[in-house]
Amino acid sequence: MLCAMTAPRPIDPRGPRVNQGVLTVALLAGFVLDWWPVVPAFAVVLFLGAAFGPRYGPVLRLYAEVIRPRLPPPTELEDPRPPRFAATVGVLFLGAATVAFLAGAAAVGWALALVVAALAGLAATTGICVGCEIYLFVARRRGVELAA
Amino acid sequence: MALLALNWRVWLVIALLFLFGLARRLYKQWRQRVAADRGPVPPLPARLRNGKGHTWVVFSTPLCATCGPLADELAAADPDGHVVRVDATRETELSRAYRIRSAPTVLLADSRGRVRERFVGAGAVREHLATLAGRSASG
Repeated sequence: MLCAMTAPRPIDPRGPRVNQGVLTVALLAGFVLDWWPVVPAFAVVLFLGAAFGPRYGPVLRLYAEVIRPRLPPPTELEDPRPPRFAATVGVLFLGAATVAFLAGAAAVGWALALVVAALAGLAATTGICVGCEIYLFVARRRGVELAA
Repeated sequence: MALLALNWRVWLVIALLFLFGLARRLYKQWRQRVAADRGPVPPLPARLRNGKGHTWVVFSTPLCATCGPLADELAAADPDGHVVRVDATRETELSRAYRIRSAPTVLLADSRGRVRERFVGAGAVREHLATLAGRSASG
């Protein structure tokens, strides 16, 4: 019943939530101001964290170095893979939105970006991370051992 | 025209923020209802029970980082007790019967399997252990 030795080190779940909150605010601000470069910019921000780990994600790093030291220790930790998967899905959506903007289909671009903003906002405000749940559902079906 | 375009965007964002607030409120209420859901639970099944003394049942999930160390802490702090770890995602019937909503949730049952205490979260268990340690030190 103990976790596999290869399971990654659990993380403070508040880091991804701050990341999701900043992403939501940025995308919604960009949408209101009709300033689409915010979409590829945050695709890169998400990509860095998802591909190379929290140390390389600007918002995750900001949380780890500036915000977390001012907070009490987390009451629980979580496996880093579900939020990483959710971020990867976000990168794909924001990447597709960027392509849509470049192709002149701004409505499609904003629709895709707003899907990401809505899901990230839901995760930031309630803790319900749809991408993480998809990862967990697939992982359990495939018998992947998660970090306990 | 630009102002009109800005207006519908602002309204859409306000609607979205309202939905976030609503979702947060409903989710919080639901969690509070779940936390308040208390009542008699069935005695522990014989397979989990320690006939001679009390039993600690630690309900965990594969994602629970604190559950394993907590079970070890319990075993170390209470050598007379029997500590059982149950994966709530696999033992779904058992989890439903004992209304397990989060991990770790720890049940303390007597030798006849009657659930005497229920702790939600590692902090609650540690607090209980610290209280017991304090009592035995002063006694």
